[in-house]
Amino acid sequence: MFQIALYTSLILSTAGLLFQVYRFKKKGSLWVPKLKLNLDLKPALFNTIFQSRLFRASKTRWAVHFLVFSGFIYLVFFHALDELTVFNLFQYYQPTLDPFQFLRNFAGFLVLVGCIGFLFRRSFNTRINQDNKIKYKGIFSIILILLVITSGFMLETIKIISEPAFLEMVEDYSDLDEETGLDNLKIYWKTHYQVSFKKDLLITEDTLERGRLLNNDYCLDCHSKIKSAFVSNAFAMHLGKPANFLNHYRADNWLYPIHYLLSFLMLVCLPFSRFFHMLLIPFASARHKVTDKYFQKKAVFIHPATLAACTNCGICSEVCSVYPNFLITRNKQILPHSKIESARKIIFTAHLKPEELNQLQLGNDDCTMCNNCTDICPSGIDLQGLWKTLPQTLQKMGYPDNYTFVKDKALQEWGNKESEKEQATGAHELTENLTGRVYSFENCVQCTICTNVCPVVAYGGNDNDMTPQQIMNLLRLGKKQTAAGTRMVWNCLTCYLCQEHCPSEIKVADIIIELRNISNQAADRLKIMNAADKANKL
Amino acid sequence: MKLAYFPGCKINFYLRDYDTSFKSLMEKLGVDLVQLPFNCCGYPARSTSFEISVFSSIRNFALARKYDLDIITPCKCCFGQLKYASYQWHENKELKQRMDCLLADENLFWDGKTKIKHLLSFLYNDIGVLEIKKKIDHKLPEKKIVTQYGCHALRPFTITGFDNPHAPGIFEELINITGFKTVEWSKSTECCGNPIYTSNKNLSLKILNSKLKAASESGADHICTACTHCQIQYNDLSFQNECQKHNITPVLFTQILGAALGIKKEKLGEDRLPIFDLRVS
Repeated sequence: MFQIALYTSLILSTAGLLFQVYRFKKKGSLWVPKLKLNLDLKPALFNTIFQSRLFRASKTRWAVHFLVFSGFIYLVFFHALDELTVFNLFQYYQPTLDPFQFLRNFAGFLVLVGCIGFLFRRSFNTRINQDNKIKYKGIFSIILILLVITSGFMLETIKIISEPAFLEMVEDYSDLDEETGLDNLKIYWKTHYQVSFKKDLLITEDTLERGRLLNNDYCLDCHSKIKSAFVSNAFAMHLGKPANFLNHYRADNWLYPIHYLLSFLMLVCLPFSRFFHMLLIPFASARHKVTDKYFQKKAVFIHPATLAACTNCGICSEVCSVYPNFLITRNKQILPHSKIESARKIIFTAHLKPEELNQLQLGNDDCTMCNNCTDICPSGIDLQGLWKTLPQTLQKMGYPDNYTFVKDKALQEWGNKESEKEQATGAHELTENLTGRVYSFENCVQCTICTNVCPVVAYGGNDNDMTPQQIMNLLRLGKKQTAAGTRMVWNCLTCYLCQEHCPSEIKVADIIIELRNISNQAADRLKIMNAADKANKL
Repeated sequence: MKLAYFPGCKINFYLRDYDTSFKSLMEKLGVDLVQLPFNCCGYPARSTSFEISVFSSIRNFALARKYDLDIITPCKCCFGQLKYASYQWHENKELKQRMDCLLADENLFWDGKTKIKHLLSFLYNDIGVLEIKKKIDHKLPEKKIVTQYGCHALRPFTITGFDNPHAPGIFEELINITGFKTVEWSKSTECCGNPIYTSNKNLSLKILNSKLKAASESGADHICTACTHCQIQYNDLSFQNECQKHNITPVLFTQILGAALGIKKEKLGEDRLPIFDLRVS
């Protein structure tokens, strides 16, 4: 059964891996036309073995992760694969001999502590919790590891206390029976190895000494002191009465399959769960460091596999430059860890609601490309490249940025909005309200000085429609919405030349910026309505 | 002297050398820079929401106030925005209340006492041209250079109070002490076109081209700005051909002054250092 399970899980795991590789290959073309695999192995190796990037990002998190990592690596190579590794290295190897017995317990203990640390952090990380979809990601893998480790410890505990196992060993490795002092050995093992016997045994110093001699003869070569298995030993000591019950039903025989089946489940899940980051992060961190020159040459390296390397740690959102924007708009898609999750959905499952896509576009628009998230990302994902290419992808999907959105609408359409009542956008919309107060622009004498100094007017040509002085006039005529929809408002460089030169001291640039705010909000509203329409059609 | 260093969003990724050389320069002048976890200054959000943009700035002020530090920035857009937000905050009581509420959610508070300095105004007003001149030990060759004042630092003057908005002069004074010769040109106070680079690249580069043309007609070899955004605009790779056509090389002010003060080449950034090849010391 062990063999069948092993080979099935190996086959499943390999098939899963191949499937994922195929998926990455297929989806790759969606984002970047030419994929260039410039791999840089040195940082990748460093990041894989020591998690150097995580260390830089957060020392405590690194400590917790390294507990799990080191313990896990030890258990995989020197416990699960012991027949391939330590058996060949050490002639005398026995799993019950020190230092292997101690190290196995120690490694398991490290993983256990680390996993509890993971779960603990999960329940306290506030920025992650803001997105319910992400909150529970990866919990499955943590719980699976916990189950494997605890089942291992339980198995060891039950083997320690098992009388039947003891008797089997006696039969296999010695010729002892009741007459030649088996009871003495039993007594010795009861006191020193925590075996739980059904029959009450009379412990005297004499029998104990004889038991010790027998133990030296037959057992000591393969059994170190049980104290070194400190976790299992502690369990065994406190097991008490249920021990006999467990022995009676040979709990060790059914815990063993549970332990290895859970381990195989982990192997099967490798390509489909959080475990996959073991392979993806080395790949993601092998990329060359992206600079602005890469962008200008359009040689950005965004492989879908690197996006899948995200472990939802949320460190990116802790350093995000536009976090204040989130505090006011409460659009989760401003924060990098939510954005990458949405981007992954677009690539791999494409089940994103129109509203969410719209939010994603608005959120990504706020990004200032400060590179903070990319700098700190422990997985080494090229987040900056993703934010840079995301608008193009979204535009293809029908979610353009506001500049294009307003540009593509005829001015007439914005003019039609004039009759509509102004909708209140937020309860606490704070502005200078220059466009709403007549005195802020009524002094305009149409002298055209603002127009004459404006660089947009000078070089705009066909790119531009109105001039600043015409905008002021539109406002005087009460056509605020029309003014907000003009190209002038959107092309404005906000250089304040007009405002500085205005003889009537009108805040021309501030008014234009405010009009752009109004236009932006109108565009956002329209887009949300459009998205809702699309959702209804679906 | 101790100041909180506000790098601005773009410098880290697009203009690393400016960051490196700025830090070295400050070290040389005996200024301690403190790096705080600042967020965006709020200028990019000006187009979308007044409230967000002001809150972003005020949050930075509150953070600096927590450590009782004034802020220094090498970017003129950040400088202008922080000035603007502080002005609005002082003017508008309703806004102030709202900001107080938002800051209180994060255990922050701002009493309006933090000052914001730009690199140039700091050098000119707080350190002094004469003081810097005394420290210069490597006179640079007499290369002709034109300067560009960033829009957001100069205007609106009533808010920024940076320099005379129509005929500014502090930048020239600071450059002339290094040995470089500044040349007068017509477009020193005009916009570089960077604010609309992402939305309307065509127009943005047209404006840039006109500036390069004017600069080359004035006979300059180099162009210099003391603003992250303007400098990014001049360093745009797709535009380098134009630069070569007009025989103008963009240089970083911090590298020029740093070189004149005798800071080692390695401490001034990785590339874009044409001045070092010309040095006659």
